[in-house]
Amino acid sequence: MKFILSDKDVRVLEHSPAPVEQILLELGVNPLEVIVSRDGKLISEDTIVEADDEIRAIRIAHGG
Amino acid sequence: MQPNVPICSLCTEPAVIYQRHEDRHLCGTHFTADVKRRVADIITIQKMIVPHDRVAVALSGGKDSTALLLLLNNLLPQWHDVRLVAITIDEGIGGYREDTIKSAEQVTGRLGIEHHCISFSDLFGDSLDTILQGRETQACSICGILRKKALVVGAGQAGATKLATGHNLDDEAQSVLMNVFRGDLSRLIRNSSIGSSGKFIPRIKPFSLISEKEIALYLMLNDAWCELPECPYTRYALRREVRSMLSGFEYKHPGTMLHLIESKEKIERCGKGSVNLEPLRSCRECGDPCSGDLCQVCLLRQSSGH
Repeated sequence: MKFILSDKDVRVLEHSPAPVEQILLELGVNPLEVIVSRDGKLISEDTIVEADDEIRAIRIAHGG
Repeated sequence: MQPNVPICSLCTEPAVIYQRHEDRHLCGTHFTADVKRRVADIITIQKMIVPHDRVAVALSGGKDSTALLLLLNNLLPQWHDVRLVAITIDEGIGGYREDTIKSAEQVTGRLGIEHHCISFSDLFGDSLDTILQGRETQACSICGILRKKALVVGAGQAGATKLATGHNLDDEAQSVLMNVFRGDLSRLIRNSSIGSSGKFIPRIKPFSLISEKEIALYLMLNDAWCELPECPYTRYALRREVRSMLSGFEYKHPGTMLHLIESKEKIERCGKGSVNLEPLRSCRECGDPCSGDLCQVCLLRQSSGH
């Protein structure tokens, strides 16, 4: 699956189907600090994502 | 419908969020309605907005204040003779504030809301970038003091009766922890929304029980999310460390942030009368309400030799 953490950090992961929350944790991302979309649609973090999915994690924390 | 997609607990649409505090999934429509209801409830219960109020929204153009303006504008028909005005502070932070001011202008223009912009240069004679030269590590404290003053000036000029800020649950919980870390009990239990005795415009925080993640999701669902740069001074902020730590705790131990707020409220109640809070006085230099002889802005001016 293609996992986009930011415009500069796009990863291609060999991962069996799993909750997106689990994959975020494996990547060292706190699920509370991102909003996740699959193929452009917002999903909850317990959604199970699969090999051919494109996942984007949008960071929400901004200072100021 | 794709398999393995959690479904909204209230209908058959796919969920966009799992609310751990309620143990339920919500779709976009039900989540938006839920946020609106919770914000309306806290405003009503705490009497944040009353008939004939003119509410100044502190609008940085970032996500929290933008969401607040959108939501209050949406709730406006529920209140009798309440008007909104937006106040944006231009601190003068190169490469950062220009984008958020543009965003603030766009949202107020789209909603037809009166918008005032106050700059540090006009009010204090210099931009924040200039004021901070050589003391960047104090950026957030200095900016916080000056921005608070600028907001009060802006709200006063706009004839506001309330000043609404976009502080969310995460911000509030972080503040509790930071005040504990600093051992600043008086700041921990100080409440600027009550007991103002007409000396300052009461502040209201309608998002104080809504998490940062929920606010971001609300904006995305309402096509109002935009990626903005991060303030360059946040790297010096204690808040940044606390935010990361607290977010980790909240994930592992759901309810941590809410418990911190509840603890603060309990301490407030227990401390009533036993904690020696300075009475509200007027600043010797500028006459603004303050707890000491000089207000924070005049103290800052004095320490800078201005």
